[in-house]
Order: sequence, then structure tokens, then C-alpha cells
Amino acid sequence: MLILSFILIALGKSIPKLSPEVCSLLLETGIDNIATLIEELGIKTKAIYLPSSLTSKYPRAFIPLHSNGSRPEIRKALPQRLIARYGSSPDDIGLLISTFGSTAIGMLESKPGATPDELESALTSLLTGRLGVADSTRVYLDNELIKIEIYKPRLENGSSWSHQCLGSPLATVAASLAAEAWNKPMTINRELQVNGKYYVELEVGR
Amino acid sequence: MRLYNRYILTVALILLLTTVILIAFGQNALDIYLTVYIIEALLITELFVYINKKARRGLAYVSTILFGGFIVTLCFQIIRILA
Repeated sequence: MLILSFILIALGKSIPKLSPEVCSLLLETGIDNIATLIEELGIKTKAIYLPSSLTSKYPRAFIPLHSNGSRPEIRKALPQRLIARYGSSPDDIGLLISTFGSTAIGMLESKPGATPDELESALTSLLTGRLGVADSTRVYLDNELIKIEIYKPRLENGSSWSHQCLGSPLATVAASLAAEAWNKPMTINRELQVNGKYYVELEVGR
Repeated sequence: MRLYNRYILTVALILLLTTVILIAFGQNALDIYLTVYIIEALLITELFVYINKKARRGLAYVSTILFGGFIVTLCFQIIRILA
């Protein structure tokens, strides 16, 4: 009883001061604002998740405003603005936005290495230990594709326009973390929820 | 936080099971109970590596107290054997 009491006191002090309801409200408001912006602009292209070396402090999502089918190659760091230019052509502009994943990365103690094992460990630490939104994760590398399995996810998978463009919150965490680990741009190719498992397939950019 | 719940439940269940097993084996020495409880609590805490940094820091203090308790019990045992 004494051991359990000590443990409960120690854990009790680590509980966040903000209630889950307030956190949920803040998250929904942020997502709603980004969704409105994307829908109003009529953007259909998939977001490219950039590592912090190509953005600013945090990895961010870049949504090209014009697309000719091919993915734009971003080689130099983009300016820290909402509307950012990545090339010399007038059409080479896009939106550089922070996502759920961008902010969540800040909770990690160190940047993971570019191996599936290290990414898996960092993802489990973040999604299970810090955020408590999944039970565990698995990461596989298949050529230029990173396949991630998230077990028992507890975040809803939206089906709105913005979700198709940016991906679900869990996929944004996976994409941001993978972009940071590989130090390369990532795109969410596919995401699927089947029998308590959430599959995310990421494509590694050049 | 599901991980916290799982951690507390694991500690509580293991300590309960240990009590049942030790009673079934007719163990009467209080220091044996205490030593086993402390070792189990320390082991389970180490196994839950994904608990967040702030909670881990708190649990590190608990582990220090438990380890201190373990050392005290051990010292009493050594004194008893030597005496």
C-alpha cells in the first residue's frame, strides 16, 4: 500500500494542469481553422512534410498551391511564412503550415535516427508515452516507402477535405517524425484503419 | 493516460499476487515480503520505458526511496547474520 501510494503521488504530480476538455477544444479549434483555410483555397494536392532543416525550428507541412502532377523538389530552406516560395516560377508557391505532428515532435527528447527501429522507438515513445493516443507502433522500410502500423489508435480519423490533403493527426505525427529522422521530405501515400490497427504509408522524397 | 493506468494496475496486481504466493508458501518473515515488493516495483518501473519524462523523474525519486528501503532491510539482515 505504501509503495503504491508513493507511485500514485509521483504520477499525480506529472498530470497536466489543463483538463483534457480544454486540450481537445484547443486542438479542434486549430484543426478547424486550417481545414477552413484549405477548403476555401480549394487545394487538392497532398502535403509534403518537411524536416526542420528545410523550414524553421520544427518540421512543417508544405502544401503546393499549383501542381502539375509531379511533386515539387524543395532543396533550400523555406522562409518562415504562411505563403512560401520554393522556386523561381510564379507558380512555385505554397502554404507552409504547422500541424499536430509539428508541435508533437517538440515533446521528444532527441531527434531519432534514420532507421526503422529508431523511428519505431520514437513513435511509440511519443504516441504511447507522451500523448497516450495509441498502444504501440511498428515501422517497416520497403525501398522508398516507410510503412507504419499504429496499434489501437484513440484519435478519430476524419474524412474532411483537409484530412485528405494533410492526413489524419496520427499520420501527421508519423510523417513529421519520419521527415525529421530521414532529414528528407515525406508524403503520406496512404492511410487506412482496419481492426484496431492504423496503417500509414509514407513516401520518402529526394 | 492509458499507460499510467496500465502501470499502476500492473504494480498493484503483481504485489497482490506476490502476497498470495508468499502466504501460500507459509512465509512469515516481514523483511522477505518487503524485499520482494521493492524489487518487483523497481523492475516494473524500469520495464515501462515509455512513461513520459516528468512522470519518470517522479518515479526516479520513488525508486530511490525504495532502493533505500531495500538497503536498510539488507543491512538489518547482515547485522542479524553477523550477530
